[in-house]
Amino acid sequence: MIMAKPIGHFFYSICLLNLLFIPTNLQAISEAEMLNQAYQSTYTPEPSSKIIIKNGTVLTGTGLLMEKASVLIENNQIIAVGEGIDDGEAQVIDAEGKWVTPGIIDIHSHMGVYSAPGLRSSSDGNEATSPTTPHVWAEHSVWTQDPQYTLALKGGITTFHVLPGSANLIGGRGVTLKNIRSVTVQGMKFPGAPYTLKMACGENPKRVYGNRKSEPSTRMGNVAGYRKAWIEAQSYLNRLEEYESKSEDAKELGYAPSRDLELETLVGVLKGEILIQNHCYRGEEMAIMLDIAKEFGYKVTTFHHAIEAYKVADILAEQGVCAAMWADWWGFKHEAFDMVWENVAMVDQALSGTGCAIVHSDSAVGIQHLNQEAAKALSAGNRAGLDIDKARAIQWITLNPAKALGIADQVGSLEAGKMGDVVIWSGDPFSIYSKAEKVFIDGHIKYDSASTDAFTRTDFDLGIIIPEGDRL
Amino acid sequence: MKYFNSIFIITSLFFISAEAENHSRILIQNATVMTATDQGTLLETDVLIDQGIITKVGLDIEATDAFIIDATSKIITPGLIAPHSTLGLVEIESEPAARDDSTDEYSAGFSIVDAFNPSSVLIPYNRSGGITSAIVVPASGSGIYSGMASVFKTDGLLKIEPVAKDIAMIMEFGGTKDSRAADMLMLKDSFNLARRFTTSRSSILKGGKYSEAGDYTVRDIVAIQRLLKGEIPLIVRANRASDLLKMINFSKEHRINIIFLGAKEGWRIADTLATESIPVIIDPMDNIPSSFDSIGARLDNAAILHAAGVKILITSQNTHNSYLSRQGAGNAVAHGLSKDEAIKALTINIAETFGLEDAIGSIEVGKHADIVIWDNDPLEVSTFADEVLIDGNSISLMTRSKRLRDRYMKKLGLN
Repeated sequence: MIMAKPIGHFFYSICLLNLLFIPTNLQAISEAEMLNQAYQSTYTPEPSSKIIIKNGTVLTGTGLLMEKASVLIENNQIIAVGEGIDDGEAQVIDAEGKWVTPGIIDIHSHMGVYSAPGLRSSSDGNEATSPTTPHVWAEHSVWTQDPQYTLALKGGITTFHVLPGSANLIGGRGVTLKNIRSVTVQGMKFPGAPYTLKMACGENPKRVYGNRKSEPSTRMGNVAGYRKAWIEAQSYLNRLEEYESKSEDAKELGYAPSRDLELETLVGVLKGEILIQNHCYRGEEMAIMLDIAKEFGYKVTTFHHAIEAYKVADILAEQGVCAAMWADWWGFKHEAFDMVWENVAMVDQALSGTGCAIVHSDSAVGIQHLNQEAAKALSAGNRAGLDIDKARAIQWITLNPAKALGIADQVGSLEAGKMGDVVIWSGDPFSIYSKAEKVFIDGHIKYDSASTDAFTRTDFDLGIIIPEGDRL
Repeated sequence: MKYFNSIFIITSLFFISAEAENHSRILIQNATVMTATDQGTLLETDVLIDQGIITKVGLDIEATDAFIIDATSKIITPGLIAPHSTLGLVEIESEPAARDDSTDEYSAGFSIVDAFNPSSVLIPYNRSGGITSAIVVPASGSGIYSGMASVFKTDGLLKIEPVAKDIAMIMEFGGTKDSRAADMLMLKDSFNLARRFTTSRSSILKGGKYSEAGDYTVRDIVAIQRLLKGEIPLIVRANRASDLLKMINFSKEHRINIIFLGAKEGWRIADTLATESIPVIIDPMDNIPSSFDSIGARLDNAAILHAAGVKILITSQNTHNSYLSRQGAGNAVAHGLSKDEAIKALTINIAETFGLEDAIGSIEVGKHADIVIWDNDPLEVSTFADEVLIDGNSISLMTRSKRLRDRYMKKLGLN
């Protein structure tokens, strides 16, 4: 959790510098990763006017629940949160009887790479042609007109992380997107968010390649595959560093190591610039993945689909590794058989409450109701005797995924200086009857349940049922 | 022999522990009763159970000899019914060795009764979530038909007879690999064959081969004949509005009863569905335009259908979490359905659709005492069952999942 912070700050500064058009300062990034900065976010919100959301029950995302509190937003940012805030010039939104939370963040989505409708031609999430593909980037698959984005928006989702699928041991780079409509993926990219790398444990890689009678076909084959890749990456890093350490004269006499797209991504991980997001179900496999990280000197940021995280929750808490979990999905594979409803709560409470728990969806249905998934996990935990309040549980879908994505200095809580990503709920977001009524992104209202026109439909939605009408 | 001995011991243990919990007369006192009848929700109401049957529902019932369950500030509902699942047939979806729900040998007449495993891990788990009965169906096969549905209770008792056997046939229209036009031709051909088979069985079977019967065995054809006689309904998995209309036409032409499963575009023809009295089994949360068959999917499908007068049955996304039909029902309420109607969609509407309404599906005199006592609003995901009665017996709510939880809570020092 905390470990992601320096990286987040690091990239945030890059983001600001980019906005100021001072590319020379990009030298802060390693030489190898510099070459991969050609696909920067082009998203810059229009300045937003001053809005005050008054009288709501506010879950700040920092661990507080404030009654009758206000949230003041101006110029794309949160200016103030709390009681007694007033601003005569601001447009007032009365949230009496309503609840206010940070924008919801889903750390595990395949929207855009597995779009709806599900067609062969838009099945773009798994480069399942080789078990190790760190050179592919999810953002280069993203379809910007996936109708699932607007459904998620209505569920309060303001930021989501799109990953390659889990067919491969090393599946490629993930990308963090803001839930705004844009014709280009660069226009959706979360400014300055660090890149991530998808890795996958267990059944999927060994099944996909084992069925083809190629490596890996076993879990031990999986582990050998990761280690071989990291050995190559280390050797590439050594070559890069050796070249860098030469004098200018010596450099002129020799050649720089040639670019290697696969190894550049892995080197980015070894240098702490790219965050590992690791699909991994079983407890013992998570422990092995942590040993691999130790062997090669990198960090695992988050285990995803961590059905058995509760079995190793103390190890995860001790090593500062987050677990992203479902509330109750299970049984679709053997490695998903030992699900417990209390998984999220147990991870959260491990080692005196130092665990980092995240509720994720991996589903275009689930992402629309992430608040309900958190509600199930909270209720199960408290029923088992843990004592977790809503103010903390909301962090499972706000601040904790923000930390694990390296963007917690910009989103994930309602704090002065953060992006104006805010959701007004019709009631307690832990109730099934509550719906997101208004969703703000960077201070702009992007969805308003009071008006059918208050959100931008994707191209797909236009005239698709009948020419004269739009999909809801 | 050793194997059989151990089974005997386990069975005996189960009955002993169950017996300790069981009483011939039980009085549930002072509950908020969501009856799933036209009476709706009754406050501070008592329910008397005698020999597993509900014998009285009313205020201040006197029954001095009955075992009392105090349900003050609790809500009770009929046991929930899973309207379309493979409960008891599948442990792990991705493992052929751990599923028992399909065949290549039979199609329309495939009865899954003998595959049902009452000791499946999924059964106590879903029971703890409030499911007391399940309509168990085979998975889709290669053709349009997948076979016949049967009904089981989730009491977990080691008995081999279902509550009701082969009560509906299941088919898919429009979502198959073939053209939907071919689906319709296959359907028509199979019906024609079943009709001819009635009059010229011997000539079709001449030579000991079923060549003229095509892909169908005698068992399949006999099952289709039951459809034609109106003995059982046909569950049709279909989503596109025009597919639904075509199937309605077909059903009228052949005078068969149909039930739709999916019906993601049902709202577009809600009035027709109501006029023709066709029930629909829906997952209210499935609003994804996941194919060109369901472009019109939306979250208020349930509310629109109900408002038009269509009987709705609510199912969950998958068998492992069959009990999450409650979450679907709650979301339907968030999008316009009434709470009482949502409870009906989880209980009595399912019983009525499958001809089980004399036995289960509501809290009324004469019904099996399949009752769930909830600690709060049963449509909230934060609510869980406090107690589950099946045939008047209080059934354990322990699950393998809770055993794992307890082991690791202890290991982590969290309890």
